[in-house]
Amino acid sequence: MRALKLEFYKIRRKKIVLMILLLLAAEMMWAFMSTSVSISRNPDHAVWASILFTTASLNGLFMPMMTAIIVSRLCDMEHKGSTWKLLGALDVSRGRLYAAKYGCAAVLLLLAVVLQAMLMTAFGFMQGFADKLPAEWLVRYIGGTLLVSLAAASVQQWISMTVRNQAFALCLGMLGSFVGLTGGLFPEAVRRWLIWAHYMDLSPVTIRYADHVATFVTQALPPDIAAFTAGTAAACFLFGGLHAARKEI
Amino acid sequence: MRRSFAAEWLKLRHSRIGIAITVLPVISLLIGCANYALNREVLVNGWYSLWTQVSLFYGEFFLPMLVAIVCAYACRLEHMNRNWNMVLTAPVPAGSVFWAKWAVSALLVLAAQALFMALYWAAGLLLKMPGPFPAETIGWALRGWYACLSICALQLSLSIRIRSFAVPVGFSLAAVLAGLGLYVAGKGVYFPHSLLTIGMHALNQEPLDPRSELLFWIMNPAYALLLAGWSVRGLKRRDVATA
Repeated sequence: MRALKLEFYKIRRKKIVLMILLLLAAEMMWAFMSTSVSISRNPDHAVWASILFTTASLNGLFMPMMTAIIVSRLCDMEHKGSTWKLLGALDVSRGRLYAAKYGCAAVLLLLAVVLQAMLMTAFGFMQGFADKLPAEWLVRYIGGTLLVSLAAASVQQWISMTVRNQAFALCLGMLGSFVGLTGGLFPEAVRRWLIWAHYMDLSPVTIRYADHVATFVTQALPPDIAAFTAGTAAACFLFGGLHAARKEI
Repeated sequence: MRRSFAAEWLKLRHSRIGIAITVLPVISLLIGCANYALNREVLVNGWYSLWTQVSLFYGEFFLPMLVAIVCAYACRLEHMNRNWNMVLTAPVPAGSVFWAKWAVSALLVLAAQALFMALYWAAGLLLKMPGPFPAETIGWALRGWYACLSICALQLSLSIRIRSFAVPVGFSLAAVLAGLGLYVAGKGVYFPHSLLTIGMHALNQEPLDPRSELLFWIMNPAYALLLAGWSVRGLKRRDVATA
């Protein structure tokens, strides 16, 4: 816990939260504009599912990049300040240091996802959506988005920690965004292996097209995809931690 | 200026930035081609339909982010080990430092565009496209590169000021969305990132009207000069922050 507190202490002037807010503002403005246009064209879309679906689909583009930026900043400050040796000399295992950085990234990502949920709620009330606020959907949305982001963060942290040059970590984040954005184009058999494409899969609502009409439908939590994402997060965290702990500084 | 350029080029040796420049166009092409092949019955406009598939995500989202990564990379070494002090005390003007970084970044982006076009041509042959290769797509790629010159200036300005590698890339993602919004609102010629959308013809393959065409050619150098001026002024006046 002390290690986690110190991670937050180290980033107190890094303006990481400001960066998160900037990216969230861009994403949510796009989501709100897109949903507003959709509602003006089809009043049946004035439901909570529409904003949840739009935001989940945009998360494929934004969250991998946001995750890459957060994790890269947390690790790059140690690379730039050449403080790995100092940290390594402390009476704290490297595994705990690795876990503290991951915990810090997880809290920041949770903050981003909860903020998204709050903004969606505010938008829904402002638009006067006819149906009741679906608290269960929001909880599932937060859980699903966070799970995928944590899996992406575990991959990013592995790269950001072990490769000093952050261009590689950022390129991976960019490729993650690319996969997240185009995930819907992949066949199901391919998509299930790409963690960045799971934002839509773990969303509580999806869209179905029939006779050129789009309808929002509830989708059950796919246990295989959720398990694969959680497994990837755990495996990458474990192997990344081991790799970082054994690597010579 | 020539010596600054040579120094920048020297710094890129063994840097592996080529991997970033190669991977993205390849993946963009692969996904675009796969999407084209799966929807061939709807996409009936041959080479032009293939262009819409391969250039949409690449030109709209990922090329600006690649530019951001290249520019952040060009400033990476200076932000380490107090190297800004060394660079700014070297007997070269601050302007040369900026323009050399800008020229190297522009060359790397040109290499990415050339690779993208070569892959587009190869993909078209492999997919047995009807008709000859459309020469205007080369012009679109070059116009995309021309638009990238102002984005290079913008990203370099950010990367010179911001020590973090990741933050300017984050700004780029936000700017992409702002650019898309301005493009949709019909104000695309007033923002560097939407100038790229216009130049690459990623969303619309129709030729520009004469006024927009003129603005496209004027706004890019105007932005580049403005941002270069801002950066060079900052390099001359701002105190260098070291870790």
